[in-house]
Amino acid sequence: MKSHKGWRYLAIITVMALLVAACGGDGEGSDTTATGGTDAPTDTTEPMTDTTEPMTDTTEATGEPSGEPIRIGGTLSLTGFLAPTAAIHEAVGEVFVERINEQGGLLGRPVEWQVLDDESVPDQAAALYERLITEDEVDLVLGPYGTGNITAAMAVAERYGYVFPHHTASLTYAYTYACHFSSWSTGLHPNITNPNLVYDAIESSGSTPETIGFVINEFPGTQFIAYGQPETDEGGAVAEAENRGYDVVLEVAFPTAITDWAPIASQVADADPDFLYIGGLGVDASNLITAMNAIGYSPRGMFTQWDAPGPLLGTEGSNGVMSVTIFEQHPPFIDDPEVVEVAAEINQALADAGIPFTDVETQAAASWTAWEYLQQAAEGAGSLDQQAMCDYLLENGAQTLFHGDIEFFPDQQNYYVDLSKIKQVQDGGWYVVYPEEFAAPDRSVIYPIN
Amino acid sequence: MDLVVQGIVTGVLIGGLYALMALGISLSWGALKIINLAHFSFILLSAYVVYQLTVTFEVDPLLMTIVVVPVFFVVGVLIQMFFHWAKVDEFKSLIVTFGIFIILQSGMQTIWSADFRRIGSELNTYASGSLTVGGIPLPIPVLLSFMAASGIAVVMSLVLARTYFGKAVRAVAQDPEMARAYGVDTRRVAVLLSGLSGAFSALAGVFIALGQAIYPGLAVSWFGIVFSVVILGGLGNTVGALTAGVIVGAAAGAATVIWGPLAAPLVTFVILIAALLFRPQGLLTSRSVA
Repeated sequence: MKSHKGWRYLAIITVMALLVAACGGDGEGSDTTATGGTDAPTDTTEPMTDTTEPMTDTTEATGEPSGEPIRIGGTLSLTGFLAPTAAIHEAVGEVFVERINEQGGLLGRPVEWQVLDDESVPDQAAALYERLITEDEVDLVLGPYGTGNITAAMAVAERYGYVFPHHTASLTYAYTYACHFSSWSTGLHPNITNPNLVYDAIESSGSTPETIGFVINEFPGTQFIAYGQPETDEGGAVAEAENRGYDVVLEVAFPTAITDWAPIASQVADADPDFLYIGGLGVDASNLITAMNAIGYSPRGMFTQWDAPGPLLGTEGSNGVMSVTIFEQHPPFIDDPEVVEVAAEINQALADAGIPFTDVETQAAASWTAWEYLQQAAEGAGSLDQQAMCDYLLENGAQTLFHGDIEFFPDQQNYYVDLSKIKQVQDGGWYVVYPEEFAAPDRSVIYPIN
Repeated sequence: MDLVVQGIVTGVLIGGLYALMALGISLSWGALKIINLAHFSFILLSAYVVYQLTVTFEVDPLLMTIVVVPVFFVVGVLIQMFFHWAKVDEFKSLIVTFGIFIILQSGMQTIWSADFRRIGSELNTYASGSLTVGGIPLPIPVLLSFMAASGIAVVMSLVLARTYFGKAVRAVAQDPEMARAYGVDTRRVAVLLSGLSGAFSALAGVFIALGQAIYPGLAVSWFGIVFSVVILGGLGNTVGALTAGVIVGAAAGAATVIWGPLAAPLVTFVILIAALLFRPQGLLTSRSVA
């Protein structure tokens, strides 16, 4: 190979790799509709009658919608590295739109959801929201999935004054827009409340770890939870652990795209902390546990921030792993029959979408709640006036199916309190174990695991 | 020190996996002048097929090797026949195989959804298994992939050096017209080599399925490291690819332990840039077909 040729092809390959990473294998702005296809948008124009009260009881049929469809625009990462989770939001959105149209629509009009593929790229998300608002002239917008995409899209929504409900954005301190409404009730300071919830849960077992190790993804959200807000360094799982007197014996940061977990597993085994706090996403914890198993090491206690729940369950050595959640599909969360009904519909939709883990948990519940915010804002305001909708939510909060009544505190950047709970893998399933009043029947924190 | 040794050893083993993923691309690029980006999709598709067959029939995932390797050999053959028919040259191959990559990625997402898939531990006992040598545990999936890569690299090197097929491959790589003039069936050689490349991708897919969760976007994460191994090893040089994989893996493993995981990609690409500056022909050019 001639050297200049190698450089040339390497440059071309690099550009292509970046292109693939950016586009994730699908065309720009491919549309998906409420029925889940990937073709041009289609209307869901089920008949309805007018409703003016906030609809928390979505089983109540009120007639057939009529008139011009209300067009709700948004993006999801249908391709790219966020696609595994965005697929959940797509399925949930389809269920919600179908139900709302079956139950009379929104303000008496049918609802049409126009969702574009932001390809897991924040810039693309921002550009598509610009397009949705200025060119497609959608009536309402719903946030995308993923912290980066939500942050980028929120700036566009703010510029045009659109009410912006969104789900599972993690950089709470960055969201200052007066009309943003997060359906992931983590409070404004999850970097303080989340870690302390974890530590409270551990200590509720009667055992307190003396040493703790941290393995943290460099993703901004997990860094925020672990180390606090960049400008202030306030809170953070590491500092909160030190405040409790835990001895921090390991701190490892790893890149989002990591292929070799064995060296990190070795470092964890060498430090041998009483408790391992993994600031993980996707399958980080799953891969790390596998790597630790391969070298014959099993931590005495583990927590992972936001790992995908399905793959972790299928991982040998995952028993006893803790994580945060806002909803799990077991009592007491499913004491309400309507919750059971909606959850069953979502289970079916996720299964139909080919998603292997179909339980309703944080992602699906937050997704549903974001839709409820939008619905109640419009119906509460009695119009699609963005400022009126925003004012309605700020003044009245929202009544949600999965989380009960939610308030929005302007002095907390519209965040409510942290509704997170601690769940744990026990007997091959996820169960909420802390706080006690939300724990699944006959379940409590198990620590140490072995 | 033990940690560094452990990091290097596991890095060497995972370097075998990189090499296994790189072998097909290296041969295809070096001998056939086809830069086959679709190779990454074939690896992932193989992993999905292994996953699907394993969970459907509840069989040992390693047994699926006997299914996917021949199938992907045929796929490789068909791809090369298509390239021949479409008169795809080196530059066009980038575009064409990039298109195939995109199509296959979308196809996999359509079939298996964008969500993560992992063979459950009840069916995949290899994922958490290890063999301890000298007090250092060697994870089974990467150990197997290292052994497979080593075997293939050595055997292919011998085949290329000592058999008629190997001579034909080298002749095709150096001057296809002249090779044809001397009676070499260049098309047949290319098709066979492409089939082998497909088979290697299938084997890599088996080890991917054994060791980690898969999802449609996973293949993108392999681009940088695998092309580093291909270029560092020298085009068409199977032993070079193995050597490069080992060097990259060991360096990344040591860097992870010493400076942290964030340093691993930095070290990898420093090695690549240094190689392009000082050894642009690859590490072991004497064994290269190109």
